[in-house]
Amino acid sequence: MTERRVVITACASITPIGHARGEIVESLRQGRSGVKPLREDHLLSRYIHSQVFGSVDYPLAYDFKRTHRKTMGPVAYYACQVAKEALEQSGLAPEFVTSGRLGVAFGSTHGSPTVQREIYKTFFGGSRSEFAAIGAVDYLKSMVHTTAVNITRMFGITGRVIASGTACTTSSQSIGYGYETVKYGMQDAMLCGGADEYDTTTVAVFDNLLACSTAFNDRPHCTPRPFDIHRDGLVVGEGAGAVILEEYEQAKRRGAPILGEVIGFACNNNGGDLILPNLAGIRETLRIALRDAALSADRVDFISAHATGTKMGDIIEAQAIHAVYGERPFVTGLKGYMGHTMGTCGVIETIITLYMMNEGFIAPTLNLEEPDERCAMIRHTPALEARPINVAAIQNFAFGGVNTSLLIKRFV
Amino acid sequence: MTREAITLAILEIFRREFEIVDPELDKDLRETYGFDSVDAIELLLEIERLLNFELTHDEKKLAMDIRTLRQIIDYVELMAKRKDR
Repeated sequence: MTERRVVITACASITPIGHARGEIVESLRQGRSGVKPLREDHLLSRYIHSQVFGSVDYPLAYDFKRTHRKTMGPVAYYACQVAKEALEQSGLAPEFVTSGRLGVAFGSTHGSPTVQREIYKTFFGGSRSEFAAIGAVDYLKSMVHTTAVNITRMFGITGRVIASGTACTTSSQSIGYGYETVKYGMQDAMLCGGADEYDTTTVAVFDNLLACSTAFNDRPHCTPRPFDIHRDGLVVGEGAGAVILEEYEQAKRRGAPILGEVIGFACNNNGGDLILPNLAGIRETLRIALRDAALSADRVDFISAHATGTKMGDIIEAQAIHAVYGERPFVTGLKGYMGHTMGTCGVIETIITLYMMNEGFIAPTLNLEEPDERCAMIRHTPALEARPINVAAIQNFAFGGVNTSLLIKRFV
Repeated sequence: MTREAITLAILEIFRREFEIVDPELDKDLRETYGFDSVDAIELLLEIERLLNFELTHDEKKLAMDIRTLRQIIDYVELMAKRKDR
């Protein structure tokens, strides 16, 4: 099978630490956190022990037509906004976008939990009205592929649709499967990413599992604390991100700006427990990605760790990194800045890595003040490093035992 | 319910729910105003609210061939007569 090179020609994100590239880079340079107090939701927030959330608390000026808005819940607004910005930035011609040669790989953890909540209210609210039916569009807003198909509808995209919904690996799978789709010639370009809206049910789930941070409710910016001795769990967040992957020769021909190249991807499963992290499984993921890229471990100089700030997860990940990469590459847990944006984290962490790759610096792990000795064997990034990244690995792991590793390279 | 009252109510629904202001009576709603399948399903729910009774499955199927505002008004008028029976 012919293998084609795949480059990234545009990216856009909505994150708890900013929307525009300049804002995000500045937050990284200044060590600014996007973790804020959990907002009142008149349902669950008062019962949740963890009172922090990675929040998008700035206004977003959407400019969508009614025909597009009517099938969109908040998660699709996020998704369509980053898709719009990425498509505009890419300079792809409208004829190409609708030609069938561009596909979409996009997902979210749920559809829209806000809309699902309204559906449950209709079911269980005790209304006696015979017209208290579920709206025809509620399903379109809340189904698990709502982000992907609202994007195809808004831009008239007619190519393949991949709608991953594997929680924390949702958008890293989107990029990985998008990469393989272009690499093996099924599509010439893919719009890939993920989104998740503000949602307290996700916080409640992790809270029940005692996996959420609770010790910093009065100082939200001090948590999560990836790899730190005082870490006490993850912080759920919200956001969205999109990247355009494109076949290299086409991108070169049309003079597109190239932000980086995807050179390898791996996805596997631990084959057992659905919650606990698994050293053998994760180690294998990292090795498969290197084999896919035909790269030796010493070529990777930066690792964006999944590092959610949980007790066991960070230790297992550090052990896996050490087993495969040793002590050479810098490791940063970007969730220190914004918490765990769930289905979005893979794409946001990829975009931030691209920004750092293009700007020539490595951001430190925010809130990593005293590394846990069980995580200390790898090369942490305690302070900002002004040095280039040539090859980076972005690692993500999800409930269900799903692991991904994505390898990207600076384009020169 | 008079035909005038039905017309006014439907125009109000179009303005409020579909952001379509004073559509022409005989224009194809899909081609002219982008009124699509999702809107049609929503409109049926609005018609039920307007008439204050639930349409049967067969009655809803009758609406599937509707293309213009005039046909919608005809349809609502017909359904309203059912209530009066």
